[in-house]
Amino acid sequence: MSAEVDLAGRRSIGEALALRAALVRQGTRSVLVFRTDLFVGIVSTLLRVVLVLLVWQAVYGDRTTVSGIAREDAVGYAVLGALFAAAMQPFQFSSLRDRVRTGNVVFDIMRPVSLITQSTADQLGTTLASIPKAAVGLALALALGAVPGPSTAWQTVAFAVSSLLGLVIAIQCNLIVGLTAFWTTEVGGAYLVYNMAAAFCSGSLIPLWFMPDGLAGVLRALPFSAQIFTPLSIWFDRDAGWNVVGALALQVGWIVVLAFAAHLIWLRALRRTVINGG
Amino acid sequence: MSLIVADDLVKEFSRPVRAEGAFAGVRSLFSTKRVTNRAVDGVSLRIEPGEIVGYLGPNGAGKSTTIKMLTGVLVPTSGTVTVNGIVPWRDRSANARTIGAVFGQRTQLWLDLPLRDSFDVLAKLYGVGPVAYRRTLDEFVDLLDMGSFLDRPARNLSLGQRMRGDLVAAMLHEPPVLYLDEPTVGLDVVAKARIREFIRERNRTAGTTVLLTTHDIGDVEQLCDRVVIIDDGRTLFDGDLGALRRTYLPHRTLTVELSEPEPHGWSIDDVHHAGTRAHHEATLLDLHFDPGVVSTSEAISRTTATLPVADLTVREPELEEVITEIYTAREVRHVG
Repeated sequence: MSAEVDLAGRRSIGEALALRAALVRQGTRSVLVFRTDLFVGIVSTLLRVVLVLLVWQAVYGDRTTVSGIAREDAVGYAVLGALFAAAMQPFQFSSLRDRVRTGNVVFDIMRPVSLITQSTADQLGTTLASIPKAAVGLALALALGAVPGPSTAWQTVAFAVSSLLGLVIAIQCNLIVGLTAFWTTEVGGAYLVYNMAAAFCSGSLIPLWFMPDGLAGVLRALPFSAQIFTPLSIWFDRDAGWNVVGALALQVGWIVVLAFAAHLIWLRALRRTVINGG
Repeated sequence: MSLIVADDLVKEFSRPVRAEGAFAGVRSLFSTKRVTNRAVDGVSLRIEPGEIVGYLGPNGAGKSTTIKMLTGVLVPTSGTVTVNGIVPWRDRSANARTIGAVFGQRTQLWLDLPLRDSFDVLAKLYGVGPVAYRRTLDEFVDLLDMGSFLDRPARNLSLGQRMRGDLVAAMLHEPPVLYLDEPTVGLDVVAKARIREFIRERNRTAGTTVLLTTHDIGDVEQLCDRVVIIDDGRTLFDGDLGALRRTYLPHRTLTVELSEPEPHGWSIDDVHHAGTRAHHEATLLDLHFDPGVVSTSEAISRTTATLPVADLTVREPELEEVITEIYTAREVRHVG
């Protein structure tokens, strides 16, 4: 029996991917199993699209541009931003918080795959579960003509890539906030603050275009804007060029930095782990 | 070499001091004072392959903390551990494949999903191949009689069903070492029996080494050859059940039903009066004697010569009494 256990735990790339896919699937299905929740989520996303549309149309009134931003771009941005927020900034990001509180995190730590991998896969799964509601919301937005299409085909591709990178960055930021639970046990407050900061700083509520120069400069230098503002600004860029490549490179840079930070924090957390309960 | 080797394990936790007096809640927030609490204080342990060891102690004795250090979840403040030659907290991945664990008060199952889904993912996590997975799962499901609820979400299961699920989850990769922290807590007698049977079966057929924490004397009596008792983070006793009884409660109890009222001022050499109680119409006397001092037959004949005996029974102290004695006395005595 024990002789069969491969202690080195070498896996082929295929096995490693299959394992991660299985973890992601568990995350997705853990959300989708609650059908009423899915239904309520879709209705609230549709409401959000309509409300954002109405508010921004009212803000523009009869004007065609404000601060140099065209009406259809601002309205389209606001609607897409709301959909991104619905998918990428859920109320509860990850089960890590509950797992630390209840002490069930003890099992995650004992497994042969690191808690970072498990937690990231779970969050990715949870996010994928919100794709249906975002898709329904997008369908409504397109039907209402609220979102103009991107200018060129390559911009569409760049937008898709950038959205994916943005999602990775969002997951990494959530993970880092979740990891602070190892120090504070309760991260409800940290999550609330982070939620508000992320909604504002990522540009999902108000495009960074409208912010005063100084503030916009600071926000662009934070990882939040790389989550949502970067992909959206690629979509609405009328004069896209090499700057798009720069934006994508900056996102990749953030991913590397955040991965490194998360890993460091995790190593420190392991050293001071306290498991709640007997 | 021993499978599990722990030497002088110490684990300290520090937490902020709670302020007292006015605005204690607010002042506690800003307190920088901390107190250190030593949960485990120099525990050494050696466990051989194939042993089932009961790890006992009152609540808060440091049992769970020890197990968390052995599993590699907690890093010891000082002292060393190796399990199967691996330092658990340093080489987590290799350690993970060597051990399985059930913490009765927690679960590693995905609660919202069917039990089977949790097993599928765990098999992938531990790199169990499809053939081995099917074989072990079939065997375990059969042994634990789980066929009827494999496809139900873990959240809907009864405690006994969920515990069986957690046991399978811990054993799917067939680890040589199994840690069980209160695996029968809150279960009914049938569920307990099933879990004990499974543990015994795995120990017999696969040679699984088991370290078991429990407050259930039945678990200890039916499973363990050896017990280690700790309190206040220190080892009080380490040996087999017979030695435990001999060390802590060396006497036997002679219960006598009297045929006439108890005579005044009786005494018997080497047999001591431990209590008198009424049972229906009769009066029962509990007498203690040490079989190392006086043989059982001699104690009986001395008793019948002195007292009007209608009926009499001899018994060894129950393990429960032994444990109660130890937890109450909380003092270190050496094995004779």
